[in-house]
Amino acid sequence: MRILVVEDDVLMANGLKQGLARAGYTVDVAPSAETAEASLLTEEFDLAVVDIGLPKADGLTLIRQLRSRGNRLPVLVLSARGTLEDTVSGLDIGADDYMAKPFRLPELTARIRALIRRSRSVASACLAHGRLILNINSHAATLDGQPLELTNREWAILEALLIASPDVVSKHRLLQSLAGWDKDITPNAIEVHVSRLRAKLSAACVEIRTVRGIGYRIDAPAT
Amino acid sequence: MPLPPEARRRGKPLDLRPRLLLAVLAPLMIVFAISVALDYRLARETADAAFDQSLADAALDIAAHVSSASGSPPSVKLSAEAEAMLRSDPADRIYFAIRDDAGRLLAGDADLPDRRPADAGPPQFIDTVFRESPVRAAVYRRDSANGSVTITLAETLAKRTTARRRILTAMIVPNLIVVLATLLAVYVGVRQGLAPLQTVEREIATRSPMDLRELDVATTPREVRPMVSRLNELFRMLREASAAQQRFLADAAHQLRTPLAGLQTQLDLASSEGCFASDAERLTRIEDATGRIGHLVDQLLVYARAESTTALTQVFEPVPPADLAEKAASLFLDRALSKHIDLGFEVDPAEIDGVPWMLREAIANLLDNALRHTPEYGVVTLRSGTRDRRGFIEVEDSGPGIAPGERERVFERFYRIPGSGDQGCGLGLAIVREIATLHRAAIELADSPGGGLRVTLLFPPAPATDDSR
Repeated sequence: MRILVVEDDVLMANGLKQGLARAGYTVDVAPSAETAEASLLTEEFDLAVVDIGLPKADGLTLIRQLRSRGNRLPVLVLSARGTLEDTVSGLDIGADDYMAKPFRLPELTARIRALIRRSRSVASACLAHGRLILNINSHAATLDGQPLELTNREWAILEALLIASPDVVSKHRLLQSLAGWDKDITPNAIEVHVSRLRAKLSAACVEIRTVRGIGYRIDAPAT
Repeated sequence: MPLPPEARRRGKPLDLRPRLLLAVLAPLMIVFAISVALDYRLARETADAAFDQSLADAALDIAAHVSSASGSPPSVKLSAEAEAMLRSDPADRIYFAIRDDAGRLLAGDADLPDRRPADAGPPQFIDTVFRESPVRAAVYRRDSANGSVTITLAETLAKRTTARRRILTAMIVPNLIVVLATLLAVYVGVRQGLAPLQTVEREIATRSPMDLRELDVATTPREVRPMVSRLNELFRMLREASAAQQRFLADAAHQLRTPLAGLQTQLDLASSEGCFASDAERLTRIEDATGRIGHLVDQLLVYARAESTTALTQVFEPVPPADLAEKAASLFLDRALSKHIDLGFEVDPAEIDGVPWMLREAIANLLDNALRHTPEYGVVTLRSGTRDRRGFIEVEDSGPGIAPGERERVFERFYRIPGSGDQGCGLGLAIVREIATLHRAAIELADSPGGGLRVTLLFPPAPATDDSR
């Protein structure tokens, strides 16, 4: 598993290289957007960690160029500016995740793992959560390889929750995502479907947590 | 916005419109008054002269009745008809007296005052009072060979008074019409002349406090252009200062966070390599301190960015509370779960205009405080809705609350309640206050029904239904 770290600060780059190497990744470090660009054109990577504040062209420019070439490489942005506006602009441009400096190494490696998993599940059109796998194309769910029967509504709710995980999904948002083909669905109906889903998933260690007054969340899978 | 105290003390200066009206109308009124007075005097004198002339003519007529044959003393031959004719007048009573040298009455009213002139000459005119009425008299002395006679002819003033009144009316009515017409013209003119100024004023008054765009100079009248240009210059300077401060903060953030991130990474590496195996407590302390420095840097930067001078270039937009709540839920759920705190939401729609990232920061700080101070197995609730047409967002906890005496001070920077053992950086509520001020929102601290604290941000009514302006 090969990761490109684009970071100009020596202390930081050094720490990232060692930390990610310890987590089992092969790490290349590029100190500028220009050298990163060169590496990306010639080498294959599984993920890039990009700092926004770089000496000449900044990290956002690098990502924009990458995406304009149609490259779908997962990108995690690091920023020392650290405001939500930067997050938004970074994610709009095509970064897949974002972390503000300073961060904890274990959290970074967890996010990297999740990103790589997600990029694979996109490629295979599968949503995986622990022992649960949802195949988006065939609309088939499996638990430990065994088929899991889900109604259309249960499928839609589970899919929305898994895509958002570990974020909270409001009931309102669930209603909206179901409203396309199910106009008469009510908030109470959502509750009923969720409780049925819980029963079906009880064996899978997938907990759909109720967040009082707002919605549901599927906790990040234990790693 | 309330006036600063010094402005209130100085008293209100006269507004431009009354000032202009006063400056134009006051001299105009004086000129009109003088003109009316002068015209009236001239017209009256002319009329009086005509009346005097006819009085003098009548006196001369009487003189014709005095015989002046030499050798005999003067005598008057005035028939009863002639006298009746002389005295007949539709408006006034006529009195006359003919006296000789010695003042003896030859004919007429004996009690008419005797004002014989020393010399002969054209008739003279006297104002006097006769039989309790003011009269005008012509006195004419005629000398002849048999001595002189003096004819006094007096008439009451009814004709003259009527004439004066008519003249006065004839003078004042048209003048008054002119004055009123001028008044109207000046008033309308001043109003219209000042309309462009009012347009400029309205444009500034209806702006949001953070709107620092330049005013359009081309549409303002030439006279106020220098003022508008100065205003624009001021707007530009404020914009630039704000932008410079934003840039400085971004740089400072980068410079502070990068080495801190390096430190954190090295620390994580060291601990994972077992460098602190013999002294786990020391690692915890160092990690704790590093975390606090990181948090302090974040909070300082947020505080600086939310401060009104820096925030001038931020743009307001409608922010649905449901979105804010959903983000806050994702952000704080794990922390709440780790303390077994029941983190809940009671989100009703509300019209809130604001800067999204600032409102998210404000809520994050309120929830951070609530989760920090609420003991395990407590309850924290984020609520939103509309109260008296004003949108509100509030966070309620089941922590120890804040004593009423401390409630003002907790908004001060770096203030910590004595003895609370607060591990926060002391900027959270100061940030909330800065953000509230910028959004013209009121902050209310109250006891929550559960015994903890309830902090409410009460936003101003939505502009569409705002009739307070």
